[in-house]
Amino acid sequence: MTKVGVYVCHCGLNIAGVVDVEDIANYALTLPSVAVARHYTYMCSEPGQRMIQNDIKAHKLDRIVIATCSPRMHEETFRKAVSEAGLNPYLVEIVNLREQVSWPHSEEPQKATEKAKAMVRMGVARVKLLEPLERQSVSVEKNVLVIGGGIAGIQASLDLANAGLKVYLVEKAPSIGGRMAQLDKTFPTLDCSACILTPKMVDVAKHPNIALLTNSEVTSVKGFVGNYEVTILRNPRFVDEAKCVGCELCTQACPVKVPDRFNENLSQTCAISIYSPHAVPKIATINPAYCLKMKTKNKTVCGKCVQACEAKAIDFDQEPEAIQLKVGGVILAVGSEVFDASRVLEFGYGRFPNVISNIEFERISDASGPTGGKILNPKDQKPPRSIAFVQCVGSRDKRFHEYCCRVGCMVSLKQAILAREKLGKKVDIYVCYNDLRAFGKGYEEFYRRARDMDINFVAGIPSDIRSTADGSLYFDVFESGTNKLLELHADLVVLANGLVPSDGISKMKELFHVLRSRDGFLLEAHPKLRPLECSTAGIFLAGACQSPKDIPDTVAQASGAAAKVIDLLSSGEIELEPLKAVVDKDLCSGCRICESLCPFVAVEIKKEEKDGKEELKAEIIEVVCQGCGLCSAACPTGAIKIEQYSNKQVLAQVSEAFPAAAHKGGSHR
Amino acid sequence: MAKPNLESREKILTRLCDRNLLNCYLCIKCTSGCTALKLLELKPHEIEKLVNLGFVDELASSDIIWTCATCLKCFQRCPQKASPYHVIIALRNLAVEREVKVPEAYMKAVSQILEGGLAEQPQKVTNKKMETCDREGLKLPKIRPPKESFQTVFLKALEEKPS
Repeated sequence: MTKVGVYVCHCGLNIAGVVDVEDIANYALTLPSVAVARHYTYMCSEPGQRMIQNDIKAHKLDRIVIATCSPRMHEETFRKAVSEAGLNPYLVEIVNLREQVSWPHSEEPQKATEKAKAMVRMGVARVKLLEPLERQSVSVEKNVLVIGGGIAGIQASLDLANAGLKVYLVEKAPSIGGRMAQLDKTFPTLDCSACILTPKMVDVAKHPNIALLTNSEVTSVKGFVGNYEVTILRNPRFVDEAKCVGCELCTQACPVKVPDRFNENLSQTCAISIYSPHAVPKIATINPAYCLKMKTKNKTVCGKCVQACEAKAIDFDQEPEAIQLKVGGVILAVGSEVFDASRVLEFGYGRFPNVISNIEFERISDASGPTGGKILNPKDQKPPRSIAFVQCVGSRDKRFHEYCCRVGCMVSLKQAILAREKLGKKVDIYVCYNDLRAFGKGYEEFYRRARDMDINFVAGIPSDIRSTADGSLYFDVFESGTNKLLELHADLVVLANGLVPSDGISKMKELFHVLRSRDGFLLEAHPKLRPLECSTAGIFLAGACQSPKDIPDTVAQASGAAAKVIDLLSSGEIELEPLKAVVDKDLCSGCRICESLCPFVAVEIKKEEKDGKEELKAEIIEVVCQGCGLCSAACPTGAIKIEQYSNKQVLAQVSEAFPAAAHKGGSHR
Repeated sequence: MAKPNLESREKILTRLCDRNLLNCYLCIKCTSGCTALKLLELKPHEIEKLVNLGFVDELASSDIIWTCATCLKCFQRCPQKASPYHVIIALRNLAVEREVKVPEAYMKAVSQILEGGLAEQPQKVTNKKMETCDREGLKLPKIRPPKESFQTVFLKALEEKPS
């Protein structure tokens, strides 16, 4: 005989403030098989859990219903509590009285109580049909794949490697460093980006536990948490990595000029070049789209770099190379892109050479940049007499991206300070802003510092920017504090472009079947409580691919993600949730609908011999299945069920929801 | 000081059919670029905010709403997809419904449309050789006055009050 215990949580006043918890507990006692029903202020607290455990022992309860908050919040807590009392943890049913009753129906307490009773009734009907399930343990690979060699990937790799795990760091560019390597100085301390980043880049290259794979991309992923099989494609550099010493003699010899990607195309490099001044690894790479020999496919053409190279490192016959890896966990750190301001037509970016983006300003201001650190107008290469910064370009804008880019304000403050320091007191500096957001540690003080440096803050955004014949710019901006239309003239306008989702993000979505949020960035499992992981087990997030971030937040998230991976892999084995799809082979017709739908590629179609005939049957790879239920819902023959969510178990709940209809209607499967 | 009138505000909201047109962040981009600002002191952001706060009656009876040149710059460039233009048109309709006196200059433009089909009469221009030309001198076709039926339709539309 089943004995059910029902526990109603007050959740302080979150639930008890709306529904009558005592009434619900009394009602639960009238339901068939319910032996105990209680209510308590905080069921999740230690005394609450002990109450349940004592009842299980004293009343020999074998099924538990807990009417409380969302199962995403405390299902795990209660499973643990009942298993400590000797009950199988999967014999617990959570009824969500907070998110589904008290919060949405706070205006109608009576009806809410009725709904709560119905939901408890449904929960009791279902819990009686639950079956005990066992968790399965699998061993894990103690290797980690980190994708993206920006500051997020670098920090995560170093933390993991120091903890003793083997790390494969994959970067698609010829050097690691990412966006941070392009920056001049960093807010709010104004320490130079290269000075704090380069040592870390070198550490990565030297660390015995890190295998650095630059110029490489992940092309396919198979497997499941703890046991991923990954294929990485190493694109050819056409330079032997073992021989190249980074002397740049080849670059000096190369006759082909190519826009320099690292300098945001503000200067030129050569068809054979080293990616950046601080590149790690410092190895030359040939750009096959520009190299004369490779473009013409003629062996007699050019070849000046081959003559110049003393190490004999150049090898035009290099082929792409695929590497197979087995890893236990993956950290996605693919970063973001800078918004393309030419889409905002009224600001004239792309039409007027002196309207530049904030990342271009970084390169112009950087000592290793195209101007050697002198701030000069791109059009005439003269120092500007006045600079204007325009905030919120492409972000907080419903036409482009609705979110706040979280870095634009601070970047402009920093750039305004740098401009003041480099160009002296005679230069007029304006920052046209809407809301200036200085939210981080030390950021408000940094804003104060900018205010003290005679920088004009204009509360208003210009409608458009116009150019004179000599390339200087002018615009009107209405200043809300003074109620005056300012007619401003600027030699240089810097647009505070936001961060936007990159192509890398869409590629990660395809490869790892991870989800994206509405803004296009990668979606975390829970915005507050699980911000470092994807909903797919074993995949973790770090840096600006999850949401726009500044350097301190990125580094913090990267270290957090690394700690999460260490937590996952340290014991050498992991337990898997048993809530999986199960196929009834007798009912399966081999139609392959489930195979086409499964977002985790957990369905395998296998040939089976039956009565001398070959038949196709679906098989679930248990460790890969996440129990989402798509296959079960779509299966035309009803052959697939999800453990704990079988038709019988769900329909028992449905008929309790509509008790009158169940009496009239027929039987169910 | 005036008190907000939320009933009038509701009337504007009904006319706009969409709360989004009032979702203003006060970035003031509209006023920075307003064609009517320099000469006529129209501040679109102020109108957005005033309507949002419920000061509709003052606006509906003021001359300022008739200065909008309907260039649609504010509508096109607004980061919040709010549209001071649509709010101003809604205010004008409310004013006409309340039989507020429409400024003479505006009525003059209306009568010009009735007569010539254009808000402005064609003007003479100076070419590169510093000669003053009219349309004929530039070999542009003559502008014909609007058809009779246009006037009838227009006048009828003016007389028909929204119910």
